[in-house]
Amino acid sequence: MIEVSRLHKRFGEVVAVDDVSFSAADGVVTGLLGPNGAGKTTTLRMLTTLIAPDRGEARIDGLPVAANPIEARRRIGVLPDARGLYPRLTAREHIEYAGALHGIAEKVLRPRVEELIDLLDMRSIADRRADGFSHGERVKVALARALIHEPRNVMLDEPTNGLDVMSTRAVRDLIRRLRDQGKCVLFSSHVMQEVSALCDRIVIIARGRVLADGTPEEIRGRAGTENLEEAFVSVIGSDQGLLQ
Amino acid sequence: MTFAVFRKELKDHVRDRRSMLSGLIMPVIGPLAFLGMFTLIASWIRQDKPLIVPVAGGANAPNLIAFLQRQGAIVETAPADFEAQVRDGKLDLALSVPEDYGKEFEAGRSAPVQLFEDSSRTKSRPSVMRARRLLEIYVRRMSALRMIARGVSPTLVAPLEVTDLDLATAEKTAANVLGMMPLFLLMAVFMGGLHLAIDSTAGERERGSLEPLLVNPVRRGAVAVGKWLAVVAAAVTAIVVALLGFMLAIARVPLQDLGIKFHLGAPELIGMLLACVPLAFFAAALEMTAALFARTFKEAQTYLSMMLLVPIIPAAFVTLQPIKTTLPALLVPVLGQTLLMADVLRGEPPPAAWFAAAALSASACAAAMLLWTARLLESEKIVFGRGAGG
Repeated sequence: MIEVSRLHKRFGEVVAVDDVSFSAADGVVTGLLGPNGAGKTTTLRMLTTLIAPDRGEARIDGLPVAANPIEARRRIGVLPDARGLYPRLTAREHIEYAGALHGIAEKVLRPRVEELIDLLDMRSIADRRADGFSHGERVKVALARALIHEPRNVMLDEPTNGLDVMSTRAVRDLIRRLRDQGKCVLFSSHVMQEVSALCDRIVIIARGRVLADGTPEEIRGRAGTENLEEAFVSVIGSDQGLLQ
Repeated sequence: MTFAVFRKELKDHVRDRRSMLSGLIMPVIGPLAFLGMFTLIASWIRQDKPLIVPVAGGANAPNLIAFLQRQGAIVETAPADFEAQVRDGKLDLALSVPEDYGKEFEAGRSAPVQLFEDSSRTKSRPSVMRARRLLEIYVRRMSALRMIARGVSPTLVAPLEVTDLDLATAEKTAANVLGMMPLFLLMAVFMGGLHLAIDSTAGERERGSLEPLLVNPVRRGAVAVGKWLAVVAAAVTAIVVALLGFMLAIARVPLQDLGIKFHLGAPELIGMLLACVPLAFFAAALEMTAALFARTFKEAQTYLSMMLLVPIIPAAFVTLQPIKTTLPALLVPVLGQTLLMADVLRGEPPPAAWFAAAALSASACAAAMLLWTARLLESEKIVFGRGAGG
């Protein structure tokens, strides 16, 4: 369960996030949709405690993150905006490192690493160094290390950005599987098709503000159009950056 | 968690060939330079062997023989077959004084002497040169005496008088070279972990792995300490490699023959280690803090190589112009360690309390830097670089 209430963040003169509130429930895929620069990444960074909000509060499982950063981070699995790998470590070592940082005992860690390697279909790259990995392979490693501690809440920042069709399908399957396991999945995207294909609930954000929040049906109904794409355009006021 | 970070950074470092090379080749440069310089100095000393001048017909020129002996040459009676022996290299040279030497000399003419040498032999060249130099001195003196006897000032025919003042005796040079050892060890302290310090901070951010690292439930302090321990381990490895190198290099040169009463044994090695390791604590933290302010790996490299001059300059100064070891000086990182090492080298090991004082001071500075590093990792500007938006 992820909740955000009246979050506000300013960088110098630029207001990146302006009074943003929404919540993402367990067993539901919530999409944070907005053009580039809308404040999605900043919002996620405040949820992962990497950035402190100027005002407002973010809560994970009802726990205010500002007061309990370590416990909050324990309860989330994050695919951050930056998903760099260590070129000299293998895929498996990346996952094991994340596991060690979560304090998972070796005995528990080993089978879990194998499970993730199978789940993300990374058997062939598991023991190769990350140096020559393709973009899709990198995202898989980053996803595996985000999920090593079986978090209740999963936050993915533009997970399918730049992926080919097969990798995109794999990531979508993973997101659905996480939802079916009852997890709270929050992911951000600037691609409308991505959000409409996956989300049970959509939060539209632009220029740091939440413009619409509801199920795809509710958003269509509010905009008075049968077409989700039309609805987005009418909510945001332009089609800037949303259509690929 | 700290251990997990430490283990990962070390593994990463060991696999980085460039980083390992820069960390390990540098510390052996000092010992190699030592080996070269001491070998050179030892060869000078060999020149200081007494000059042996076999003379045939020495009785014909008693004054010349007496002069040679006063100048430190050992004058021997040449064997009968001295010509053959010089040709065969058994003798470096031989001097022959013909019978009419005395007559010619008395008459004020040029008295004949013959210097036998084999100019194709390099080995004998230093001895021949020295004998020739002695003979020239004798010629100059005699001509001066002859001119004075005729009422002419000898300076008239000597418009220039060049005096060679070689102040650097072999012993002094050897001591100076030995005095550079602290400088090389300081380089090991600062360079040993440099690459890792940059790679695990500025490099980590540049390749976009800092954000994924920090979303794990680990305190920033634990991340900083884990990385710091890895940098310290790399620096200590460099120090140990450098010390072992010096030990091997110094074992190969006969320091006693150079007039140096220094023995690089276990107590000296431990003293050097005790001085250097606490400084490595400080150097590692300092490098990490500075690197975090840089935007990229390259920029950090530029900053840090400039920053390294700051500790090296006072250390070089102390090496060239020794100052007395005092408590306040000991408390200054780098300076204190340089003084301790210089004292150990001089064979006057400082009391344990001094080592402790210098170590405590360096460790305290390291702790302060480490706290700063942890604070920087909390800062949004540092973690995301300039312009954290999106």
